[in-house]
Amino acid sequence: MLGYLARRLAQAVVVVFAMSIIVFVGVYAIGNPIDVLIDPGATQEIRAKLIAQYGLDQPLWRQYFTFLANVAQGDLGTSMVYNIPVVDLVFSRLPATLELVFVSVCIATFIGIPAGLYAGYKPGSLAARAIMALSVLGFSVPTFWIGMLLIMAFAVNLGWLPSGGRGDVGSLFGIPTSLATADGWSHVIMPALNLSLFKMGLLIRLTRAGMVEAMQTDYVKFARAQGLPDRQIVFNHVLRNISIPIVTVFGLELGSTLAFAVVTESVFTWPGVGKLIIDSILQLDRPVMVTYLVLVVILFVLINLVVDLVYARLDPRVRLKGKA
Amino acid sequence: MTAALEVRGLTTRFETRKGPVTAVNDVSFSVQPGRIMGLVGESGSGKSVTGFSVLGLIDEPGRVTGGQVLVQGTDLRALPPDALRRMRGSKVSMVFQDPMMTLNPVLRVGDQMAMAVRVHEKMSKRAAWDRARQALETVGIPAPAERLQAYPHQLSGGMRQRVAIAMALLHRPAVIIADEPTTALDVSIQGQILAEVRRLADETGTAIVWVTHDLAVISSLADDISVMYAGRIVESGTAEQVIGSPRHPYTRGLIDSVPSLHEPGAKLPQIPGATPQLANLPSGCPFRPRCAFATEACASPPSPARGAWAPRPVPSSAGGDMTDPLLKIDTVSKRFSRKPGLLGRGIDRITGRSSESTVHALTDVSLEVTRGEVLGIVGESGCGKSTLGRIVAGIYAPTEGAVTLDGTPVARGSDHGIEKLTTRVQMIHQDPFASLNPRMKVGETIAEGPRVHRIVEPARLRARVAELLEQVGLEGAYADRLPHQFSGGQRQRIAIARALAMEPELLVLDEAVASLDVSIQAQVLNLFIDLRRELDLTALFISHDLSVVRHVCDRVAIMYLGRVVELTSAARLYARPMHPYTEALFASVPTLGTGRAAFHPIKGEIPSPLNPPKGCAFHPRCPLAGPRCRIEVPRLAAPETGHSVACHLHDGGTGAAEAAA
Repeated sequence: MLGYLARRLAQAVVVVFAMSIIVFVGVYAIGNPIDVLIDPGATQEIRAKLIAQYGLDQPLWRQYFTFLANVAQGDLGTSMVYNIPVVDLVFSRLPATLELVFVSVCIATFIGIPAGLYAGYKPGSLAARAIMALSVLGFSVPTFWIGMLLIMAFAVNLGWLPSGGRGDVGSLFGIPTSLATADGWSHVIMPALNLSLFKMGLLIRLTRAGMVEAMQTDYVKFARAQGLPDRQIVFNHVLRNISIPIVTVFGLELGSTLAFAVVTESVFTWPGVGKLIIDSILQLDRPVMVTYLVLVVILFVLINLVVDLVYARLDPRVRLKGKA
Repeated sequence: MTAALEVRGLTTRFETRKGPVTAVNDVSFSVQPGRIMGLVGESGSGKSVTGFSVLGLIDEPGRVTGGQVLVQGTDLRALPPDALRRMRGSKVSMVFQDPMMTLNPVLRVGDQMAMAVRVHEKMSKRAAWDRARQALETVGIPAPAERLQAYPHQLSGGMRQRVAIAMALLHRPAVIIADEPTTALDVSIQGQILAEVRRLADETGTAIVWVTHDLAVISSLADDISVMYAGRIVESGTAEQVIGSPRHPYTRGLIDSVPSLHEPGAKLPQIPGATPQLANLPSGCPFRPRCAFATEACASPPSPARGAWAPRPVPSSAGGDMTDPLLKIDTVSKRFSRKPGLLGRGIDRITGRSSESTVHALTDVSLEVTRGEVLGIVGESGCGKSTLGRIVAGIYAPTEGAVTLDGTPVARGSDHGIEKLTTRVQMIHQDPFASLNPRMKVGETIAEGPRVHRIVEPARLRARVAELLEQVGLEGAYADRLPHQFSGGQRQRIAIARALAMEPELLVLDEAVASLDVSIQAQVLNLFIDLRRELDLTALFISHDLSVVRHVCDRVAIMYLGRVVELTSAARLYARPMHPYTEALFASVPTLGTGRAAFHPIKGEIPSPLNPPKGCAFHPRCPLAGPRCRIEVPRLAAPETGHSVACHLHDGGTGAAEAAA
């Protein structure tokens, strides 16, 4: 187990390094930030001075090693646009995104999985067919469109919920979060629902497919032949067997939602990291882009690691390589 | 005395697109406590559906539409759903065919068993585990407390089936329905389970309905037999009556299809045609179209001509035959190893452990096949017989040694991949459903090889395909159909046609008849015997079925854990096996016509090829093993001309024999 973890972490370091190089080269290729940053009327001298200040006159490989050296000292650079340390910038936005993603994943899970189980348990029933029809809508209608419809309905016409922004921040167990206040909840619920629809549709379909298949298996028939009631068969026998694909998709979706909740954040003007990255790309804010993308890589690697550990927990046949 | 189970007029229908199909048609039988009733039939006869119908476990679109199922006098069909559920597991329980599938893979054996205990009796978890442990003891599982902690994949197939039987026995039910419970197991393990079941029925008084297609198994186990055909019971009686003097022509035909009752090489009397589609049953007796006694026109003797065919003499020392074999397998070994990656090796170095593991699939196998000869390769699962077949076909490269056909290697390449493959060896696989591309017309499938390799001119391809189809007993016009329009037996014929299309010099048949019903198996075996005579085929015939091998092979090699342990002519082997493993195999196989036999199954399980025993691989299970067997690997040697065996008892040495004495 320790060997496995060591191996995975070593792999993660390699992946993060490789990714940092790709990101660095990619960002370099997009364009020179100086052109965006300075006044077009500035003199050649000011321009040269700024270029030297940011180290942009150095060859690419030297820039990269300077970056690495700074990272080693805990310095990820300073945003060219906001002129504050990148770390502060990203972490000032991250809690908002985490809240949004947490609520949306909860909605998707607690509605999607039970709905999928039911649809798979009674595949022919009217309710099952309704669930499946809704799930198709969930991941085929564009997110921004549903978001706008939600705003039209609940904010503009009914006036029940605010149309955008993050609510008052309170404190929950010492952590500052908008989920601690009623106002915060009224702001988060609509974007979270919007963000959850795609995942919910996916979870419903996966759970249903697994359920339908599992109900045909011999071990379910065998459990029936032993006189086990269906409730026990579904929750004790089937659920764990079908959870592997669910966990996989759950992990992938969690990662991509955290990293790229851009559309929803834009529609609901949610002050999260999704908006930050889009803005920094438009303004060629190199340090923010590099830091953010490397952070995303680390996030994905960690989520995948957790997913693999959960596999091994769920299914005894999955043996982690390196486990002696 | 009340019958443990009495079924009266049971009828089960399935709604299909073509209309309702009656899978179980007015079936009645009864079983007394402590007796075993065999319910025999081919696939599609409704025998399994009958089993499920008894427990009320028919899924949509099926429905039990009539009849009574009386368990100790209580009619299950009259019970409300919840009461019926409570009868299942406590009064009637079931054992399924595939022990790999019946246990939930993600739950510990103990948890599954405890759940089954506690659903019918209120007790603590600890007490339920205790009960489960006792149940495992009853079915002869060693170290039951440890098994309870295991997950199903950590147990062997035979062990899992014992667990399933133990679960069926938990509440001492009046009846157990066993649906082909030993079909998926090796013969030596099957023998152990049969002996165990017989003992349990005698000791506990549980009535057992044993659903099977295997007449030999049932004749050696059951007290009574009912034969099913097209949803009806066509004959029933005591085992002696049904096997000894069958009255229904179908029963007669089934018994006649069993190869072990016939001269080796003789064509098997076969039931013509295939089991009918239940959707459009012939009117009157459903067996009529296949029955030799059905009309006056068929009043002549029923059995088809038994074309006598003399097995080829085994080439002895005479002439160049011996020195010039077609296929030469020269000290071939095959190991599959999983090597750790770069990081893994680093970690191995730090921890001082090795995460590399090696499966010894084949060790020093040398065999020769002369032109026109059929060599049988026999062994239980994991013995390496399929690996050997694949190496001969060039699909795997041997780790050591060489396989040559007429002196040229069958494939060029290494462990890492095959670069060039010969077309002179063709393979026929076990599963005719998986081996044909479902989206290609069978004509295209057959023509593909000859087209790519330019064996036949493009203009003549269609004609050649038709010719091949006729050669394997199908119609040329079938070329435009898709595989799903054919039955299992027909598909296997198509697979044979595809192999023959390449005009191979050697055929490798890997369990080619293992998945077929006995009447269909007889047809395919007859086809093989005919083709062999017409085309002078040379073949490797890989099988676990001793009676089939005896029927079609000239010489037989017995394999155990990757080694050939005995090699001789079929006639000699069956008359006088020399290796203790071969003897034990014969003792494990139930044969038809010997009545209820006492089994002498081989003890223990097949060891893992990951970690084979030292010395002779068979010594942990061998009743005659001596100290030398534990140390020294016996070589394959010929104590008599034409009969080789790898055993210290026969190598002239004294160690084993003395130690045994």
